[in-house]
Amino acid sequence: MDFEPNQEQQMLIEQVRRFVREEIIPLEAKLDPDASELDPADHARLVEKTKAMGLFGIDIPKEYGGPDIDIVTRVLLAIEMAQHRAGLYVPCYGTFGGAGLAQIFEANEDQKERYLYPTLRGEKKAFFGLTEPSGGSDPAGAIQTRAERRDNGWVLNGAKLYISNADRAQYGIVFARTDSSKGRAGITCFIIDSDTPGFHVRRVVHTLRSSHYATELEFKDCWVSDHQVLGEVNKGFAVANDRLTRQRIPYAAGCIGVAIAAHEMAIEWAKMRSTFGEKLSHRQAVQWMLVDNEIDIRTARHFTLEAAEKARRGLPFKIEASIAKLTASEGGGRVVDRAMQIHGGMGMTKDLPLERWYREMRIRRVGEGPSEVQRMVIAREILGSNLR
Amino acid sequence: MKVLVAVKRVIDYNVKIRVKADNTGVETANVKMSMNPFDEIAVEEAIRMKEKGAATEVIAFSAGPAQCQETIRTALAMGADRGVLVQTDAELQPLAVAKLLKAVVDKEQPGLVIVGKQAIDDDSNQTGQMLAALLGWSVGTFANKLNVADGSVEVKREVDGGLENIKIKMPAVITTDLRLNEPRYASLPNIMKAKKKPIETLAPDALGVDVAPRLKTLKVEEPPKRKAGIKVKTVAELVEKLRNEAGVI
Repeated sequence: MDFEPNQEQQMLIEQVRRFVREEIIPLEAKLDPDASELDPADHARLVEKTKAMGLFGIDIPKEYGGPDIDIVTRVLLAIEMAQHRAGLYVPCYGTFGGAGLAQIFEANEDQKERYLYPTLRGEKKAFFGLTEPSGGSDPAGAIQTRAERRDNGWVLNGAKLYISNADRAQYGIVFARTDSSKGRAGITCFIIDSDTPGFHVRRVVHTLRSSHYATELEFKDCWVSDHQVLGEVNKGFAVANDRLTRQRIPYAAGCIGVAIAAHEMAIEWAKMRSTFGEKLSHRQAVQWMLVDNEIDIRTARHFTLEAAEKARRGLPFKIEASIAKLTASEGGGRVVDRAMQIHGGMGMTKDLPLERWYREMRIRRVGEGPSEVQRMVIAREILGSNLR
Repeated sequence: MKVLVAVKRVIDYNVKIRVKADNTGVETANVKMSMNPFDEIAVEEAIRMKEKGAATEVIAFSAGPAQCQETIRTALAMGADRGVLVQTDAELQPLAVAKLLKAVVDKEQPGLVIVGKQAIDDDSNQTGQMLAALLGWSVGTFANKLNVADGSVEVKREVDGGLENIKIKMPAVITTDLRLNEPRYASLPNIMKAKKKPIETLAPDALGVDVAPRLKTLKVEEPPKRKAGIKVKTVAELVEKLRNEAGVI
């Protein structure tokens, strides 16, 4: 497979690269090192530009009005969009628009009217409520939030933990147990409006991302009607499996973008900085760190593009997506770590983006399915389903 | 009215230039190339003229190796209608480019030719002026603002110490300065459309132009390294050094 971008992809890459350099990085220089948002006026101005570029709503499928680009192109652009201080979690500060949660695309028409379309228009935000105090990597086993049948609807009781944006969202997707006798086949997916009586954000949970907190949610006799069931009862995990696997690919691409930016900084610094009468770049210890960076980046890029290419061609890509997510998040962490080491003390300061990438990159080995779950997915595939 | 814009493929402005070990030039192998930024401004201005109805067609011209096609394609993705590439691997100096441009102008008969005031690689600032001389046309250099009306063009020029307003007869050659406009991002739909826009490829011989270099490059060197500075303790010492060592006061 040839992963060289074609001429159109190259041109798009250059447009996004210019956008990051000329629009994002100069504004970022004036923001707090941990900022996750632009000034609203700047945000609005830049959204006009991404709309003129025809790339606004970059993650929205074409049939819902998103740009007509395939997943390979999406990956190439995601790699570019992440190459700035806030790039790992808020690439270009969201000026290319959001897409809404993968699950909500599987909603029925009434639910799409109420939730999906307003989300795509930027009028509503959503949270994703899966993880509980009892765990998140094995949700089928961990979910203890119960939903019981009452008055043509469901009553939810329980808690969710480490949920992002729940205090700012208008609605969320919440997984709850509707049949306690069946593990995986007893979970249902609900759409919960944030103002539903019985639902509340119990506390804020601070994380490595110092300006961005998670929350803990509580459901106390929270009644919702049947219209809030997303997909089918007891089939909560059937919703959006393909879309979820697909999400791992741009997720990996973001790690690669940050790794490239850190690597480039390390190369420049190694060529400039002298110690004991010699440039860092002349020292084998530093050269080898740079070589390992290069290899980590190329490996992750290759596997991520391979996963994207398989997804684009409609081939199975589950293993490839897991390998991409693994190599990009683990390799990305190593690259940022080495880049910090090469920068020495300066690498620890908030004058440079490295320390923020270092903290945020750590989350990537846990978020979107931890490394161990990715390895489990791959093991199951290569060893056969009897392992289950 | 047709507008012809010239676009040069140069080393990207973000690349750190390295001089070749044998001092014959700068390293271009494996170096990212892009459109000369002043030419992007020229393309943008021409497209705006078309959008306002002042121009009917925008033609992007480039001269050089086959890869210049990519530079033309970028202009097409911004909104130019078609491209003309004079393909040659020969070294092209400003006079040769001006002659090639003249040959294409004779063929296409544009009302305006807009070129960057200089390319960021050789910083010659000659092609536009030479072209105007060869054509016998008016020329407005260092344009900060353009206004086309009734067979003439008003040019606000960036000159030392301010701006100068001139009005020249068309057809004319314009060279762009940095503040004329802010070039747009090529949009996804236009990038896809650019794929289908035609690029005509010509050879210098076919245009009857001798592109042989008239200038000889003797040596290319890195700029001298800056010497380390010194710290002074008092203003009196500073004044003393400025007067006696630097000789500036």
